[in-house]
Amino acid sequence: MERRTFNAASYSLSHLRRDGTRTATTIVTISITVAFLLLTSSLLFGMLTDGGGDRKAGLLAGDIPGSVDMFTEFRLDQEISGRARNSLMSYLLLTSAMVLMVGFFIMYNTMAISVMERRREIGILRALGLSTKEVMKLFLLEGAMVGFISWIFALFFGTPLILNLASYLINRGSESIFFVMPSMPLALVIGSLLVTMALSTISTYIATIRPVGSSPVAMMRTRI
Amino acid sequence: MDNGTSFISVRSVVKEYRVGDSTVRALDGMDMEIDEGDMVALMGPSGAGKTTLLNMIGGLDSPDRGSVIVKGMEISSLNEGQRALFRKNNVGFIFQFFNLIPSLTALENVLVPVMFDRDPPFDRAVELLERVGLSGRMDHVPGRLSGGERQRVAIARALINDPMIVLADEPTGNIDSVTAREIVSLFRELNDEGKTMIMATHDRLVSARARSVIKMRDGHVVRGKAKSRERIVHLADRKASGGIRRKVEG
Ligand SMILES: Nc1ncnc2c1ncn2[C@@H]1O[C@H](COP(=O)(O)OP(=O)(O)OP(=O)(O)O)[C@@H](O)[C@H]1O
Ligand SMILES: [Mg+2]
Repeated sequence: MERRTFNAASYSLSHLRRDGTRTATTIVTISITVAFLLLTSSLLFGMLTDGGGDRKAGLLAGDIPGSVDMFTEFRLDQEISGRARNSLMSYLLLTSAMVLMVGFFIMYNTMAISVMERRREIGILRALGLSTKEVMKLFLLEGAMVGFISWIFALFFGTPLILNLASYLINRGSESIFFVMPSMPLALVIGSLLVTMALSTISTYIATIRPVGSSPVAMMRTRI
Repeated sequence: MDNGTSFISVRSVVKEYRVGDSTVRALDGMDMEIDEGDMVALMGPSGAGKTTLLNMIGGLDSPDRGSVIVKGMEISSLNEGQRALFRKNNVGFIFQFFNLIPSLTALENVLVPVMFDRDPPFDRAVELLERVGLSGRMDHVPGRLSGGERQRVAIARALINDPMIVLADEPTGNIDSVTAREIVSLFRELNDEGKTMIMATHDRLVSARARSVIKMRDGHVVRGKAKSRERIVHLADRKASGGIRRKVEG
């Protein structure tokens, strides 16, 4: 038999795989959330920097044939009045905040349901000598994995999809549409990763900390 | 033991559960001493408090009153974090419903208690599964194993940290009598190697092969009888030849 290892990460991964449908739907919803955030924040950043500066420094920057710089694409006419600009910015900020909140609650909900269904399992783990902290780590790992995969999906599928759909609707009939890849600055790429990871782990933490800490005996008595 | 206490001593333990407005007294002034190396069958009608008592000894639950002392350590006064550590290092649990993790293979299930260790004892897990006769089933998930095979996985899991105490709550409750006999023989083997075994059971098959039988009713001991105390005395000899005795495959 070949040498293998088994650790907390393999545990979390095997659970995500077993709960495949839920994992997939959560990933889809969270990546839509993140894709939306990427678009709104590109627009916001574009307005703040007038689309100028080192925007080509991005991870997906423009050497890709047919790629679209999200800043220039979204850049507003510079002659727009200060007031219009400010109100547009507050709309964008508000939308971003709400999208973020929706993502947070979706993740919270998923983990809260998961933890309820797994009360017995948690009781078993605790009975076998894992501490509350260690069981929490398993859930946080799951949350972080879902967050990370969602972010990848958002970056490489979600945002391009929305962008292409939008440009199709706008340019319909006028010219032939090629698939375009958005480019954005590295700061936005990294920033969105941080926000996604924070969103998924914090919501997981809040959803699971109380049930995971309750009495192992009571949890093991749960029959599902 | 040296300081005059037994290996495990349960003293005037009271445990109550609140169910709605009423309280159920699961343990009612329970007193019990268990020697190291004993193999005890806890018997008594349903609701007598057997499971509750096992939970106290294993540090899964703490008494409302009284004390539980294991190896001179007052476990009833530990906090939950300390109790988790106590369970991990000293106690192997075996349950009636096996309590395996359904998404994991047999081998992974055995490794669950040690998955946060820096270097999980992978080889030991393999050895333990071989020992319980599951060399060909290591990569099977519990859903593809029979009841008896699941219980063997659970036994291997209980042994992964080489605990001094093995607690089994109706270990043969969901197993046919032929398999039950094999499981009890395995318990007996473990006991011969020096593990202190405490089994809550309704099964005569189990109690017949125990060294002592303790009868409980309404949360206290009705009758405790060591079948052959003198046999426990030879523990030192048994320990000398202990360790994992490997079973020939097949
Ligand atoms: N968590 C709990 N909440 C409420 N009541 C409980 C709880 N745990 C045990 N009890 C009650 O305490 C009493 C003793 O229960 P326990 O499970 O220890 O009995 P037992 O001897 O193991 O019975 P059985 O042979 O049926 O397993 C029972 O009346 C039971 O209903
Ligand atoms: Mg019971």
